[in-house]
Amino acid sequence: MRDWLGTTLRVSLPIAVAFALGFILFAATGYDVADVIDGLWQGAVAAPGSLEQSIRWAIPLAIVSLGIIITLRTGEFNIGAQGQLMLGGLGAVAIPLLFSDWPVYAVIPVAIVCGIIGGALWSGIAGALKVWFNSDEVINTLMLNFIAVLLIQWFTTGPFKDDSTRGENASTPRIDRDFRLSDGTGVSDELIVIVIVVAILAWIIIERTPFGLKSKLVGSSPKVAAWQGLQIKRIHIMTYLLAGGFAGLAGALEVLGPSGRLVTGATPTLGFTAIVVAIVGTLRVPGAILAALFFGGLQAAILFLPIVTNLPSSGLRIIEGLVALLITAQFIWRRRTRARAAEQSATNDDLDEG
Amino acid sequence: MEQFVVTTIRLSVPLIFAGLGGLFSVRAGIFHIGIEGLMLAGAFVTVGFGSAVESVWLGMLGAIVVNLLLSAIYWFLIDRLNADMIIAGLGLTTLCVGGAAFLMNAIFNRRGSMTSSVRLPQPVVGPQEGLLAYVSELSILAWMLPIFVLVVWIILRRSRFGLQIAAVGEYPYASEAAGVDISRTKLYAMLITGICCALAGSELAVGGLAAFSENMTNGRGFIALAAILFGSLEPIRTALAGLFFGLANAVGINSQIYAGESNIPRQFILMIPFVATIFFVTLRGVISQRRISHGN
Repeated sequence: MRDWLGTTLRVSLPIAVAFALGFILFAATGYDVADVIDGLWQGAVAAPGSLEQSIRWAIPLAIVSLGIIITLRTGEFNIGAQGQLMLGGLGAVAIPLLFSDWPVYAVIPVAIVCGIIGGALWSGIAGALKVWFNSDEVINTLMLNFIAVLLIQWFTTGPFKDDSTRGENASTPRIDRDFRLSDGTGVSDELIVIVIVVAILAWIIIERTPFGLKSKLVGSSPKVAAWQGLQIKRIHIMTYLLAGGFAGLAGALEVLGPSGRLVTGATPTLGFTAIVVAIVGTLRVPGAILAALFFGGLQAAILFLPIVTNLPSSGLRIIEGLVALLITAQFIWRRRTRARAAEQSATNDDLDEG
Repeated sequence: MEQFVVTTIRLSVPLIFAGLGGLFSVRAGIFHIGIEGLMLAGAFVTVGFGSAVESVWLGMLGAIVVNLLLSAIYWFLIDRLNADMIIAGLGLTTLCVGGAAFLMNAIFNRRGSMTSSVRLPQPVVGPQEGLLAYVSELSILAWMLPIFVLVVWIILRRSRFGLQIAAVGEYPYASEAAGVDISRTKLYAMLITGICCALAGSELAVGGLAAFSENMTNGRGFIALAAILFGSLEPIRTALAGLFFGLANAVGINSQIYAGESNIPRQFILMIPFVATIFFVTLRGVISQRRISHGN
């Protein structure tokens, strides 16, 4: 907290470099950069309804990234948010489809809880394998992402099939409008309230509970944590379940909100973007919210861009990839205290500032 | 049966090239999840550049050059600027996935996939029919694989450079004290990884098929990393693990063909390599945990 200016500079420099490199590439391949910039601005902020779309994408990004913050702080690389998000969507969509005769006040909470459980279980698999069997969580969470895609594909072409859809767009039937939390725009009072409550909850968990403090200690100095007699395994399992729960919640809100159904190929990169959001937000709740708004705006803009210029959405992937490449690099004004801190630089950064 | 053997080999070759390439980085202490992206970049440049200049060899050379460049950048960021290797590796993969899709669209005006006008030679012509008919489907890279495995083994286990890599990965402070240039050793290891991933990508795109598609690697780079872990960071075992994961994949593909009538959904069959990967990485974890607790 001491050094607002330093943190802001340290975060915005890699982003600026990523955009500059992206724009150079766009210019070199024949796109009019001025058009692209204008399109981005219009699509994220200026055009009618675009601000709403930016918030629509910021909501899932913020929620997923809050879970990622919790795992990254304990030094665990749970990079399977994408799969956890999809399982959350699956858990949530099942309830209104299967129990459409239940009253609204029962369906929506149960669907949200099932979404949270779906995500937590999916993350819990990787967590349990890591904690009890010493199995590499990076590989496992990546594999679980691929398995989740196939699982959703099976559900949307099998048990929960909507006959009018196929392929990438195969989806479940639409859920009843009464069970929706928002219309297609993806912004409603209910969703905003939920995201604010979740953000406050995450902040309390991270900054104001013994669990938050312990998990930080486990991440920054595992040996000290062990000497202090902390139950490291239990803390790790908790962080996996929490992270999966957050991602699952985001998946549930996506299904009950803007999407209204579960689509096979929907939001394939949201999980990755959320990781970038968590790190750009310096693993803190307020930072993550700001970063989510920024990347939400970018997501909204890239969907708007075809109206102005025909830049494909892979252009956004390039910029996001560059941001992820550069964001943890420590430029000159960072003192290099520990040569071997590479694995934990994200959590260490956080410790330095705390 | 013969078809099954050939499918296994063809699916294993890219995994083994990427796995043994990645082994250099992993032994040097870099958990290189950019392998997935480097493979895809290799596949794309081989197809794109190779088709443009009408030469599969120049295409492969282009892929190698691009991967050397990307590897050097990745090295600079994680070694010199202390970037987080997992996050930056994920970024590298995303950059390659996005870059390949973007350039395919911008240069070749194609979306999703493109065909290649060149392919790797398939040097051995088998008999028209019978047991050995399928060997003519194997590319020159597949035939060179045994030599490649041997060379990697010699470099990693018998050369001074290979021992330096292992020392840098396992005992960085001791090797620094012994006068090994840690940064430079890591750089060389990562450059070799880049070259091997270019070859893996070429084999994937123009070894059997002659096409590139956006999600062509589909996790193979990550599975190659799993093969390294399952192979306990040893070259021969990593190659065998790659063969094994290729087999798991071939089982999936074959059951799709033969079990078309059965009621096992194809998505579950397609999950086999991913589930097998988790299973064997976990098995490996359990074994190493036992060793540690027994004091070895």
